[in-house]
Amino acid sequence: MKRAAACLVLLLAGCTEEVAPMSIADGPPVVATTGRPPDQLSHLRLLDWDAAAGEIHYNARVVPYDLNTPLFSDYALKARAIYVPDGQTISYDPDHPFAFPVGSAIVKTFYFPADFRQPDQDLTLIETRILIRTEDGWSAWPYVWNEAQTDATLQVGGESRAISFVDADGAAQTANYLIPQRNQCRSCHERNLGAGGTATISPIGPAARHLNRDLDYGAGPVNQLAHFAELGMLTGVPDAASVPRAYAFAEVEARGVSAIAPEDLDFAARSYLDINCAHCHDPLGTQGVTSQLFLSHDNMEPFNLGVCKRPGSAGSGTGGLTWDLVPGQPDQSILVFRVETTEPGAIMPLLGRSLQHRHGAELIRAWVAAMDPVDCAMMEP
Amino acid sequence: MMRTTVKLLLVVGLLMGCGESADPSFPNVTCDDFAHANCVLITSGDAAGLLDAVNALEDDTAVILGTGTFELDNQVTIRANQITITGQGMDDTTLSFGTATAQINGIDAVSNGFLVQDLTVLDAVKDGIRVENSDGVTYRRIRATWTNEGDSTNGAYGIYPVRSQNVLVEDSIAERSSDAGLYVGQCRNVIVRNNLVTGNVAGLEIENTQYADVYGNTAENNTAGIVVFDLPGNPIVGRDVRLRDNMIINNNHANFAPGGTVAIIPAGTGTFALASRRVEITGNTYMNNQTGDIAILSGLVVDSNPAMWELVEAELVGDNAGLDLPAGATAGTITNFRTENVLIQNNTHSGSGLAPDQTRDFGVLIAAVFGFDPVSSILYDGYGETIDVEASTTTNENRVCAGGNTAANGLAVLDVETQLVSLGSPILVISDAPFAPFDCDDLAGDRVAEVVIP
Repeated sequence: MKRAAACLVLLLAGCTEEVAPMSIADGPPVVATTGRPPDQLSHLRLLDWDAAAGEIHYNARVVPYDLNTPLFSDYALKARAIYVPDGQTISYDPDHPFAFPVGSAIVKTFYFPADFRQPDQDLTLIETRILIRTEDGWSAWPYVWNEAQTDATLQVGGESRAISFVDADGAAQTANYLIPQRNQCRSCHERNLGAGGTATISPIGPAARHLNRDLDYGAGPVNQLAHFAELGMLTGVPDAASVPRAYAFAEVEARGVSAIAPEDLDFAARSYLDINCAHCHDPLGTQGVTSQLFLSHDNMEPFNLGVCKRPGSAGSGTGGLTWDLVPGQPDQSILVFRVETTEPGAIMPLLGRSLQHRHGAELIRAWVAAMDPVDCAMMEP
Repeated sequence: MMRTTVKLLLVVGLLMGCGESADPSFPNVTCDDFAHANCVLITSGDAAGLLDAVNALEDDTAVILGTGTFELDNQVTIRANQITITGQGMDDTTLSFGTATAQINGIDAVSNGFLVQDLTVLDAVKDGIRVENSDGVTYRRIRATWTNEGDSTNGAYGIYPVRSQNVLVEDSIAERSSDAGLYVGQCRNVIVRNNLVTGNVAGLEIENTQYADVYGNTAENNTAGIVVFDLPGNPIVGRDVRLRDNMIINNNHANFAPGGTVAIIPAGTGTFALASRRVEITGNTYMNNQTGDIAILSGLVVDSNPAMWELVEAELVGDNAGLDLPAGATAGTITNFRTENVLIQNNTHSGSGLAPDQTRDFGVLIAAVFGFDPVSSILYDGYGETIDVEASTTTNENRVCAGGNTAANGLAVLDVETQLVSLGSPILVISDAPFAPFDCDDLAGDRVAEVVIP
C-alpha cells in the first residue's frame, strides 16, 4: 500500500475542468446539503447574470431582498436573495436571524458600477457569496466572477484585488478589495452559541429588524416580510406594527447625515454600529469579545458601549487615544477614530473595508458629538 | 491579479512515501514526521496554494510548508481541529505579509489541538500568530517579527494565544512588536518556557489569565520585560501565575507603542504585577533595567476609578475559588484592581534602577523619589496599606512578600496614588531583608502550583 501509492500530485486548477456553464433555464436550484458545492456558481442554478442588460435573474423561489442599514464593503453594491426549497418555510423570529430549513441558500453578489453617478450602468460582478443551510448547519462558500463575467468559480482561498471606480462625487477611487477566504467568512458569520461557547455559523441580515422594509418586486413597493409570507416561504410574521425595524440608511447614503431627523440620530447610529460591528462586538461574537466593547443594538450598558472605557487589546488601534467613546468628544473617541481611519493596523471592521465610508463615519462622529459631554479623566478620581 | 493556476503538491491520507522522494523543498520536515490522518505539502512561493489549502482543511491534517518565503496578502486562516502547520525551521520558512493592506493577522487559528512550529511570521499587519478560543495549543520554535526595529506601525502582538486553554509556548522568538511580543490573553492553564522576547514594547505579558507557568525565558531589550496584569472589565480574573528562572535584562528600549495601556510604561522596566493575585516571582535574574526591576501595582495606577474594576460576580468566567475577591460598591460585584498574594523570592538583581525613564509619569515619580540613589529592586505602590516610614506600623493587607533575593537593593513602599498628585507623602524604604512586614509569613492559601498540560 505504502509503496504502491506514489506521491499524488494534483494541479487543483486541472481538477476544475472547464464544464459548460448552466442556467436557471436548466431547472430548479441545486443546493447540495452535504459536502463541497460545485466549482461553478452557475451549476447551483440560483441566478443568471445578464451582462448586456445589467441584471441578475433569479430562479423560482430565489427571492431578492434588501436591508434597512447594510454593512459597508468599500462601496460595493450588493444583490441579496434567499432560496428556500419548495414546500419548506423559514420561521419568523423577532430577535434573531431566522431559522432556515435544510437546503436553503442565502446569495449575496458584490458588484461595482464604473461610475456611481450611474449606479445601474457598466457593472462588474466581483464575487458571489453563498451560505448553504446543510444538515450540519450553515456553510459558507465564496465564488469569484471570471473576467468574461460568464460564471463565477469557487475560490476558497479568496483574493485581494485592486478595484477602481468613480464615486458619487465624481472622484476616482481605488480600493484594495478583499475577497475573503472561506474561513474568513467565520470572522463575521460566527456566533458562540450554547453553554460550551460552541462557534456556529449564522446568517446576519435575514432578521426581522433588517428585513422590515419595502421592496418593489414588480408591482410596486411591498413589505419584504409580507412578500415572503405571501409566497409561503415565511411563517409566523406578526402584525407589521409589532415587527422590530432598524433605521433605513439609504437616505443617509444619498444625502448625508443632514437627512437624519435629530430625534433619529441615536437610532441611526446604533443601527449602523449593529450591522457593521456587532457581528464581532457582541457577547456572542467571537473575535470582539476580548475587547468587552459590545455594539449590538440592544446593548444598553454604557461601559460596554465604550463610554469612558479603556480598550481591551486594541494594540496599535487606539490612535493614541485613551477611551473607546468619550461622549461629546469624537476626536477623543477610539471608536470614531477606528471607523474613520484607513490605516491597515487600526481600521475597523477588520475585514471588508479599505476606504472610509464617508456618510457612515459622519454619522458616528455626529452621534458621539451630540452626546452630553463627559470628562472621562474626571471620572477617575 | 486573478489567479488561474494553483500549484499544490497534495498528499492525501497516509501516503508516507513522500519523505523518500527527497524533495529539496522539504529537507527537514515532511509528512513522515506526523501521525495526522491527512497531510498537505506546499512549496514556497505558492501563497495562493497555501490559502486554498488551509481553507479546505479536513480535521486532523498536517500542513507542511517548504523552504523559502511565502508572500501573502491575506492571513492564513485555520478553522479546523487537530491541525499542525509547520515550516522547515524558523530560519528556513517565512510567511511574509509585507504587501498586505487589510487589517489581518499572520496566522489566525481557531483550532482545538493546534500545533504551529518551525517557521517565521514576518510583518503581520495586526498579530503574528493569533490562536483564539481553542483547547490544546502549542507554539514551538517559531519566530514572530517585523522588518523594522522600534517602528510604531509594527503589528501589535507577535505570539498571541487568547481565550484558550492548555497552551504551551516554547523555544520561540517574539520581537519588534509595537505592543507585546508574546501575549497570553484571557487563557487558562498555560506554560511559557524557554522563549526569547526582544525589541518589543512589552516583552512577555500574561493578561487576565489563570494558571500560567512562565520559566526559562529571556526578556532582553524591551521597554518592559515580563509583566502580569488584569485589564478592567474582563470577566476572567487572573490568578496563579509563576514567573521563575527567567532572565530579564537590559529592558531599556525606548517606548514606541502607538497607544494603548503599554504606552505609559517607562523604559527600563523589568517586571510588574498589576491587578493580579497569587503571583510568584522567583529565581529570576534581573540585570540593568534602568527604571527598576520589580513593581507591584494596583490596577488603579492605570485606571483610577474603582467602578471601572467592578465585575458582576455571576458573570465571572473560570476558577475563582479561594480568591476572596473584594466586593465592589455596586451590589453583586467584585473588584480585581488589587494586587494580592505576591511572593518575590530568590531573585538576583544587579545594575538596575540607575536611570529611570523620565519620559513617562511613573518614571518621573520614581526619579523624584529616589533622586541620585539607585531605585529599590522591589517597588510596591502600597494601595490599601497604611504606610508609615516605620516598617513596624506599616500594614501588609495585600500579603505582598519578599525574601531571599540576592543583591536586592531593598524594597520600597510608595504611596503612588498620593505621590502622583503631590510628592512627599510617606515612603517606606527597607534596605535589607527580611523586609518585615513584607516577609513571607502572610501569604494566603497554598503556593502557586506547577502547571500541567494534559
